[in-house]
Amino acid sequence: CSMAGEEDFFLEEKRFKQHCEEFVKHSQQIGDGWEWRTSKDLGDGYLSKTHFQVRNRHIPPDLKEKNNDNVEQALFAHVEEPLDDSQVAGVCTTEEVIRYEYHVLYSSSYQVPVLYFRACFLDGRPLTLEEIWRSVHACYQDRLQEGPWDTITQQEHPILGQPFFVLHPCRTNEFISAVLAGQQGYNRHTNYIILWLSTIGPVVGLNLPLSYAKVGPEQNSNTDL
Amino acid sequence: MTDDKDVLRDVWFGRIPTCFTLYQDEITEREAEPYYLLLPRISYLTLVTDKVKKHFQKVMRQEEVTEIWFEYEGTPLKWHYPIGLLFDLHASNTALPWSITVHFKNFPEKDLLHCHSKDVIEAHFMACIKEADALKHKSQVINEMQKKDHKQLWMGLQNDKFEQFWAINRKLMEYPPEDNGFRYIPFRIYQATTERPFIQKLFRPIASGGQLHTLGDLLKDVCPGAITPEDGEQKTQVMIHGIEPMLETPIQWLSEHMSYPDNFLHISIIPRPTD
Repeated sequence: CSMAGEEDFFLEEKRFKQHCEEFVKHSQQIGDGWEWRTSKDLGDGYLSKTHFQVRNRHIPPDLKEKNNDNVEQALFAHVEEPLDDSQVAGVCTTEEVIRYEYHVLYSSSYQVPVLYFRACFLDGRPLTLEEIWRSVHACYQDRLQEGPWDTITQQEHPILGQPFFVLHPCRTNEFISAVLAGQQGYNRHTNYIILWLSTIGPVVGLNLPLSYAKVGPEQNSNTDL
Repeated sequence: MTDDKDVLRDVWFGRIPTCFTLYQDEITEREAEPYYLLLPRISYLTLVTDKVKKHFQKVMRQEEVTEIWFEYEGTPLKWHYPIGLLFDLHASNTALPWSITVHFKNFPEKDLLHCHSKDVIEAHFMACIKEADALKHKSQVINEMQKKDHKQLWMGLQNDKFEQFWAINRKLMEYPPEDNGFRYIPFRIYQATTERPFIQKLFRPIASGGQLHTLGDLLKDVCPGAITPEDGEQKTQVMIHGIEPMLETPIQWLSEHMSYPDNFLHISIIPRPTD
């Protein structure tokens, strides 16, 4: 984890809060579900969003035993309606609904935002660290394998005190610096949260709709876009 | 006059006599005897309780043994906090030995981090050290070290080797001659009564005029409710490693001499016993 150097882009806590405010405003406009939560005791806070993801874990049937019609029927049936017993025979397709909760907190030690998240099945069973590692998007798996313990681990949420998974801040600066270095002329008004979250969010299944790219102080001239 | 280095040794070798008892609802084939152990204040529960686990596994059926976890008077104990901090925070004004209950079932997912292997403890320990150095030195010292130096810090802790640990850790306690201390002090303040697990903020050890900030200055700035005004009755104790340092102690000195091996000052605010 490095912090030194003028190449690094750090975020003061005040600016973090301002960017979060801007971010939440836009989220409200497009119904993206983010909200700001303030802690009761010290007045600090964090961004929060909950969403549900359906993951199809499809275990292919043994095609030698069943005829193709049944298999196709079963494959498409799970999308539209629950499987009934006759269709289940020979096919095992489970839909897993996972509830993801994402929090964006500020780290005063590293002076960057940090992404905390937790995930559980509908019955309340939380995902294990191994399941989380496995669910990291395919294009980030190599990076993850290089140093899983430096990338995503379970940690205590600094405000709620409960176990969450965390995407380590060290890697954040690597990603962000690379992006900003490539930009022609870093715009000081760029919303850091949007830039950061759109870069690292996809690693853990969190995507930002493209309309966030429009957010900025020049919002009055939306029509130019 | 005690040498400062003696303080480092006293901190490192601090021990808490503990009695481990198996939770009564755990299913056993024979009666489980309690197990007594001197716990190192500076270490972590899951790092030093292999013998405890073995002892209770002997009386249990194999399939009943899943991840071990510990509890004190109904409160699950966070293994990722140093043992000395847990004791100071939850049991410092109670009679010894410290009575901890051992569980193998119903892991409290909402309260405790999992700890399936020593790798998890190492990763956590090293992450704390890195964060502390980010505060003290903008990560320059920790990043200049080689992987084998990082490993030596962990091995020193794991094997209770004071000299081995401090051979490397002393570098993390240095600062440029032109400065009079670290950039910021790595500290966390804990109170058992709050939902928030701890308070951590940026705090400089040296004031703009060059004076050394004290423990009292830190508390006033970060946790004003912790210490009452001089004329009032002091309802709380400010405890580090089982003692109450004078509030006039320079925080830079405390950081260099009374941090835990993870390089953080873990400070407990607890109710003062009324006797």
